[in-house]
Amino acid sequence: MLPSTSNYMFEMIRSELTDAVGKEYVDVREADRFAHSVDYYWIPEMWHDRNMPNPQADLIVHPGTAEEVSKVMKIANTYKIPVVPWGGGSGSQGGALPVLGGILLDTKRLNRVWKIDTTALTVTAGTGIIMRHLEWEVNKAGYSTMHLPASIACATVGGFLAHRGTGVLSTKWGKIEDMVMSLEVVLPTGEIINTLPIPRHASGPDLTMMFLGSEGTLGVITKVTLKIHPQPEARKFRAYLFKTFDDAMDAGASLMRSRLRPCAIRLYDEEETRHHVKRVFGLDDISGSYLVFGFDGYEKIVDLEMEEAMKIMRKYDVRDLGSKGGDMWWENKYKFFYPPYMFHMPQAFGTLDTVATFSDIKNVYHAMKKVVNENFPEARFIGHFSHWYEWGCMLYARFIFEKAPADPREAAALYNRVWDLAIRAAIANGGVINEHHGVGLKLGRLMKELYGPAKELVLDKLKKELDPNNIMNPGKMGFGF
Amino acid sequence: MHIQKFEDAMKACRFCFMCRHLSAVGNVTFSESDTPRGRALLLDKVSMNPEFLRSEAVVSTMYQSDLSACCRFHCVSHYDENGLVLAARRDIVEAGAAPENVGKLAAELGKSAAFKVSGKKADTIYFIDRYTARQPEISGAFDKIAKAAKVPYMTITGGCLGKALKTLGFENEAKKAASAFAKALAASGAKVVVVSNPAAYDALKNDCPALGIKLKCKVMHTSEFIAGKLAGLKLRKPAGKASAVYYLESDFLRNYNEVAAPREALTRCGFKLLPFGTNNEESYSAGEGACVLPELNPGLVKLLAEKVASRCDDAKKDTLVTASPYTKHVLTKYAGLKVKTIEEMVSSLL
Ligand SMILES: Cc1cc2nc3c(=O)[nH]c(=O)nc-3n(C[C@H](O)[C@H](O)[C@H](O)COP(=O)(O)OP(=O)(O)OC[C@H]3O[C@@H](n4cnc5c(N)ncnc54)[C@H](O)[C@@H]3O)c2cc1C
Ligand code: SF4
Repeated sequence: MLPSTSNYMFEMIRSELTDAVGKEYVDVREADRFAHSVDYYWIPEMWHDRNMPNPQADLIVHPGTAEEVSKVMKIANTYKIPVVPWGGGSGSQGGALPVLGGILLDTKRLNRVWKIDTTALTVTAGTGIIMRHLEWEVNKAGYSTMHLPASIACATVGGFLAHRGTGVLSTKWGKIEDMVMSLEVVLPTGEIINTLPIPRHASGPDLTMMFLGSEGTLGVITKVTLKIHPQPEARKFRAYLFKTFDDAMDAGASLMRSRLRPCAIRLYDEEETRHHVKRVFGLDDISGSYLVFGFDGYEKIVDLEMEEAMKIMRKYDVRDLGSKGGDMWWENKYKFFYPPYMFHMPQAFGTLDTVATFSDIKNVYHAMKKVVNENFPEARFIGHFSHWYEWGCMLYARFIFEKAPADPREAAALYNRVWDLAIRAAIANGGVINEHHGVGLKLGRLMKELYGPAKELVLDKLKKELDPNNIMNPGKMGFGF
Repeated sequence: MHIQKFEDAMKACRFCFMCRHLSAVGNVTFSESDTPRGRALLLDKVSMNPEFLRSEAVVSTMYQSDLSACCRFHCVSHYDENGLVLAARRDIVEAGAAPENVGKLAAELGKSAAFKVSGKKADTIYFIDRYTARQPEISGAFDKIAKAAKVPYMTITGGCLGKALKTLGFENEAKKAASAFAKALAASGAKVVVVSNPAAYDALKNDCPALGIKLKCKVMHTSEFIAGKLAGLKLRKPAGKASAVYYLESDFLRNYNEVAAPREALTRCGFKLLPFGTNNEESYSAGEGACVLPELNPGLVKLLAEKVASRCDDAKKDTLVTASPYTKHVLTKYAGLKVKTIEEMVSSLL
């Protein structure tokens, strides 16, 4: 733990950090510590809204190189001070919150684009770069990362790696873990390592995959090489309205089983279609379940794929909203996330995302919906399915209370209860804790239930070995303090 | 408190991350507090604990905002985070908590507001503001264009017409300065006032009516004036390498007023506008919206200017074009870039 700021020992440690990263990059200003005390997790937002103080970091450091990160880690180990990596703070699980104080390591200065390799089609960049800035750099060279999440403007590449994030085109182009070639990582003890330069090999277990999704608990990812792709000649969308969600899910699954390769499929349940699709797109006459999909690539191939996909849709009792209905989704795909469209205080809300096979996904959806509806009649449950695989898809379910209890402790208890019940229902039916937002502070307590003995036998041991002083992001991912 | 008038923005922005990539200051300080979210979160705390307004955290953060309004321009709901920060500065000033350097600067600006009209009576009057006055090549270029277009004009000189005072939070002083300007303008009998500085344009177009000051003149930015006269001008076609230029958007013209004339004037003259940096939406603001940031925080302006320089394809050779004398000044002074204004580009073709 850090000594208090009135203790001269605090200044001794601050001097060491200053020596490591430079005076202007060690920040103890109240403004910045305050702004870093709230991320995109509902609990600190609610805590702030109730005028309660959120836990703050003691020091914020902005290292500019892996070597500087390494020095910070060594200092932190010497004094056993927690280090919490913070990218954009857009994580919804509280993963970047400095719950125990200590050093907050803001990665945004690790923002250099090192190389765009137009032979192998890869880009190498510092992980603190905002994803939108990286995508613009790559676009300028004529390519795209194809990683286009709704938080592209606010999250860092490192944040996506740390959470195994996903973008709107994931169905064809993959989640971030499918895009990575290799990583540079600073271990909790300060050593700098690189994973193998290529993602496919038979040279032992895959270290890249071990660090992906580790949410700052196993080290700081400082550099990444990602695949890039030529911009497609065409990208076309089409939307349909199904009478029921179940029919729409069957159609979406059929589309994936056909092994056509849509770049995106999104299916909204009846409730979300009624409330949100209608509002955001300004469509008046829609009811049922809205399904949209698209293809990208050479125009001739896109047209052919679209034709085949339309044949699949015609097997159902559907209303074809045409390409216009589909384009509307693409053009407004991020609009949902801007105020006032996004949920906001005094509402209490959360994204219960999970993933399961096509055999299980409907059961997962119905079980989660049932548990929320039965236990919290004042809450609404909505859901859409946004990332599709050959074998299943991701459920982006949400619960919304129009008003949370005024008392912050009561509000937190209610909130946690919804998660406990809904996530347990998901696990019981073949789902998992999360698909692309991570575990963080929010869901750490459920890791044991998900992994069973593997949590202690593998994950905890790995953590202990790599981070003997437990300084890396303590309290997150179920690793405890 | 004035911030309460912007409660919608405060409540929307305090938990919203969607425009942080365009936060020019945040992109060089890497501080979360230097983003629309960070500032709104701080001010939300102020709304719950008014004494927090006077804290160093709030005061320093508010005074280092670039006020570029890129966030409002980008935001699908156009929340006025800029307006919120300006309201906070006003609250800070009224609470007597303005930093010493801000108070001193405001006093100087207030004193400078004495306007002088020169030249023979004419329908058009050209305002030479502080940044234009420091770079006489800009008014020289305007003169050449006006002469070629056979537009006689008077000039009006003096200090701050209220914009800088308003951005600093000194509303009453801003009103006084703007009134003095309006009075001098009215006495000149001019029907059109042309300004090179987009900050002055915004002051006359938007601040004056908001302050209850009625101008009898039509207000034009020089780019609008030039675009309107192009048909009657005999211009050479730009040739060779000089024909391709990088146009840097102006905070005030694009984000506050959506004026398209600078691009229009340049393209109609035959210049090819190359995309600067990676993207048109990106904020390459060097603090234009904050008007007097170099006087308050030169170190920060240097970082902003260096950031712009780092986005150049070739910082030594590229010609950047701006509609803002402020931007020309700071990019030249702090980053050594080659910058021309619209007036200079067009007059070079005469
Ligand atoms: C409006 C909005 C829309 C969103 N949409 C999507 C979406 O479409 N897809 C999606 O996947 N997510 C989405 N998210 C969630 C969020 O953007 C992602 O979880 C993202 O990965 C977080 O990145 P960040 O840089 O903000 O990380 P932070 O929130 O700062 O950190 C998240 C976690 O990663 C760790 N971390 C950060 N950087 C590093 C690093 N370099 N090395 C090691 N650990 C690190 C932190 O310690 C923390 O545990 C959305 C969020 C918002 C606000
Ligand atoms: S201006 Fe709009 S996009 Fe930016 S923080 Fe506010 S609500 Fe979000």
